[in-house]
Amino acid sequence: MALAVAASTAEAHVGSPDTWFEGTAGAYPIRVVVRAPGVVPGRAEITVRVLEGTPRRVTVQPYVWDAGSGGAPPADVALPVPGDRQLYSVNLWLMVAGSYGVHVHVSGDRGEGMTVVPVQATATQRLPMDRGLTLILLALTLFLVLGLVTIVGAAVRDGVLPPGEPPGPSGIRRGRLAMAGTALLLGVALFGGRTWWNAVDRAHAEEIYRPFHAVASVVDSAGAHWVRFTIDDPRWGGRRWTPLLPDHGKLMHLFLTRVPDLDAIAHLHPVARDSTSFESRLPAIPEGRYRAFADIVQESGFAHTMTAELDLDGRVAPPRGSKPDSRSDPDDSWFVGAAAADSSAPRFRIDDGAVVTWDRGPGPLVEGRERPLRFRVTEPDGAPATLEPYLGMVAHAVVERLDGEVFAHLHPVGTVSMASQMALTMRTPADSVPGSLGRRMSEHAMHEPASMPEAEGGAFSIPYAFPRSGRYRIWVQVRHRGAVRTAAFDATVEPRPAS
Amino acid sequence: MAARTDGIAATAPPAPGPRRDAAPGSGAPARAAAPPWYLVAVTLASTCVIVGLLWDISWHRTIGRDAFLTPAHVAIYLGALIAGTACGWLALATTFAGSAAERAAGVRFWGFRAPLGAWVCIWGSFAMLTSAPFDNWWHNAYGLDVEILSPPHAVLGLGMIGIQVGAMLMVLAHQNRHGAAGGLLRWMYIYCAGVALLMAATTVFEFTGFANQMHGSLFYRVAAIVYPAFLIAPARAGKLRGSATAIALVYMGLTLAMVWILPLFPATARLAPIYHPVTRMVPPTFPLLLVVPAVLFDLILRRGEGRPEWRLALVMGPLFVLALLAVQWPFAEFLLSPAARNPLFAADQWDYNYRPGAWQHEYWHLDRGAGGAWSAAKFWSGIAIATGTAIVTSWIGLVRGRWMKAVQR
Repeated sequence: MALAVAASTAEAHVGSPDTWFEGTAGAYPIRVVVRAPGVVPGRAEITVRVLEGTPRRVTVQPYVWDAGSGGAPPADVALPVPGDRQLYSVNLWLMVAGSYGVHVHVSGDRGEGMTVVPVQATATQRLPMDRGLTLILLALTLFLVLGLVTIVGAAVRDGVLPPGEPPGPSGIRRGRLAMAGTALLLGVALFGGRTWWNAVDRAHAEEIYRPFHAVASVVDSAGAHWVRFTIDDPRWGGRRWTPLLPDHGKLMHLFLTRVPDLDAIAHLHPVARDSTSFESRLPAIPEGRYRAFADIVQESGFAHTMTAELDLDGRVAPPRGSKPDSRSDPDDSWFVGAAAADSSAPRFRIDDGAVVTWDRGPGPLVEGRERPLRFRVTEPDGAPATLEPYLGMVAHAVVERLDGEVFAHLHPVGTVSMASQMALTMRTPADSVPGSLGRRMSEHAMHEPASMPEAEGGAFSIPYAFPRSGRYRIWVQVRHRGAVRTAAFDATVEPRPAS
Repeated sequence: MAARTDGIAATAPPAPGPRRDAAPGSGAPARAAAPPWYLVAVTLASTCVIVGLLWDISWHRTIGRDAFLTPAHVAIYLGALIAGTACGWLALATTFAGSAAERAAGVRFWGFRAPLGAWVCIWGSFAMLTSAPFDNWWHNAYGLDVEILSPPHAVLGLGMIGIQVGAMLMVLAHQNRHGAAGGLLRWMYIYCAGVALLMAATTVFEFTGFANQMHGSLFYRVAAIVYPAFLIAPARAGKLRGSATAIALVYMGLTLAMVWILPLFPATARLAPIYHPVTRMVPPTFPLLLVVPAVLFDLILRRGEGRPEWRLALVMGPLFVLALLAVQWPFAEFLLSPAARNPLFAADQWDYNYRPGAWQHEYWHLDRGAGGAWSAAKFWSGIAIATGTAIVTSWIGLVRGRWMKAVQR
């Protein structure tokens, strides 16, 4: 049956529900893709590509964050995909909405290796019934209704007559009356069924994931302008709430992108002013209307992206080109300017003269089709650039469709949040008190700062598939020569070919 | 009754194979003792469906992981297949190859002829078939099953009930035509009626299945909707002295068989989260003690023969609720006590994904007032509603039973 997705949102990220992960399981570099089922409970399609080494066996085990792997069934063996010795696949159930960890275990010529991939299980879609199935069900329902009416008529008219005895006029009349009554009853039953179905549909619509509601504004304080992001949702702090965890050392990553042309972006790290408000110094970005996307991670490992809008008028907007001396966090960064045009190998010269090249590979970008985003950073003389860690990563990328319906904050490890992964890895059954895991994670981070994966020759790759067709802007951020540099690219993603 | 029939051989639909000519009056007891193949087939189909259903529920509660071809599903499909093909074949054979007497023993359906129960079985099989694409779409739209009752499952359940009611009607028509000669048929009929009662009980399992529910009026309100009609109607057409009692015993016996057999099989959960590890198939809960109201029903049916049905219903409805209250209330206390936590009573058996807690040994759905405390007024008004409901369903059962008693085809 064709699945027609009527509405789609996502948890971490917007409109990008699948999970992409690239990392290592022991000595095996692997890429894991978890295709979200769209409903909960539902079956997720999990594929594991072993990028190096010779695997003999790959197993996968999803577990719910607070039940741990002890509360999960034995791992399932992922089966090799015919024709591709490095690719393994298995479909597994996500039974409850919330944060899951997926243990991926690889054994082979390099010994044993294991990693955890964080996955958010949420209902994200409403599925309309396609016309063919509607017609089939209507025909079968009509058959059942007419059949039952006929059977009841026969039962009343003939059922109690001795074999061979024809029904009399009163029997025929009673039979007709019974048929009419049955038809009426079935009509009521069908109406009741429709009401029931609608109630289920409404309840399902309520269960569809909605990010916390939030508002963004500019406030004046201590003689400066501040961007304030306030979460004003009654669910915030509610029953399913768990405390926030720092991701890459920050409680919140706030992205502001200027509409309609996406010609300005700010990547800020607001600090909590109270339990619902986060503030960051307003950067030197031009006036206009901005979309605000705020990434947070909860102790359960669940990562959210909240959205809001921000109007920046000339009164508060710093003049274009003003010095970036107003940052409240040393890792804040922003960029104003045009993107490299859509082409097969676009190049973008960043502000220190280095060049970022997007090796897009042959063929067009296609909706839903895996296409790692590969970039190379070269010095002005063409030599590979040396990249410094930016927020513990070799690079960050932000992908946004022009209409804002798709937004994703990516790294070379994919779409997953490192804080989610760490939370799921470090959680023990003793972490039953909210906040205890966060404290342990902070202590761990102080003693063992995250090491940056290597970027050989200034090149890095980000696993991803554009979830929907359309025109996109991609910003890539790296730290080069002591400062965060941003490159911007445009891309057009073609619709998935009709199968 | 027997005087109005032409004899079994003359009225029975044809068996497969070479066509038999009608032989009026040749219904010898020796031949009558062996039920026709199609009665055996539909009784088997009815059993497959109910066993498959209880097995499937246990599967969901124990293993969790669902697939098209689980053993429990295969049992259900087998039931639908046997009922559909046996009755379909019977309809074709009766219509196109049956003798005049054989055709006369059936009822008309869109130009075809077959016994009434066969049409109900065929309808049930089609309803089950209809539920399949609907249920598949439902899973894709709203997620895999988390509860028994959903619209596609209601269609499936109607189909299953269709097969069980159809089987019961087929055996019933034979029993009624048979008169005093059909000893085995009487028991087959009681068995089929017991299976139908178990099916009805399973559809409301989420409301009446747990001891924790038996101190709330909701339990009695739901029970009053279902059980009187499913006990009284078939009992009135039964040929045993204690037909209602026997039907209730079949229901209890089949349930107990599943209660005692299923846990013999080791099994573990195959879905996360597992909050309550299980090592064996989770059995159904101990059956309701319906035998107690059933004994009372039998007494009233025997002594009240010939009296207006509404007067009988006025007695049977309240008696049902009071009898159920008298036995299930204290029995619930027992089932929630440590004394019942053994293989015999199978109490305290929970699904793999239930978080352990005090709720397991507490009462649910208690009738509470505004302050949250138990409200006697609310409870007794619920019981009054249950009593009114039981009067209506008892009356329906009596009227249906009168008709069933007269069914010939």
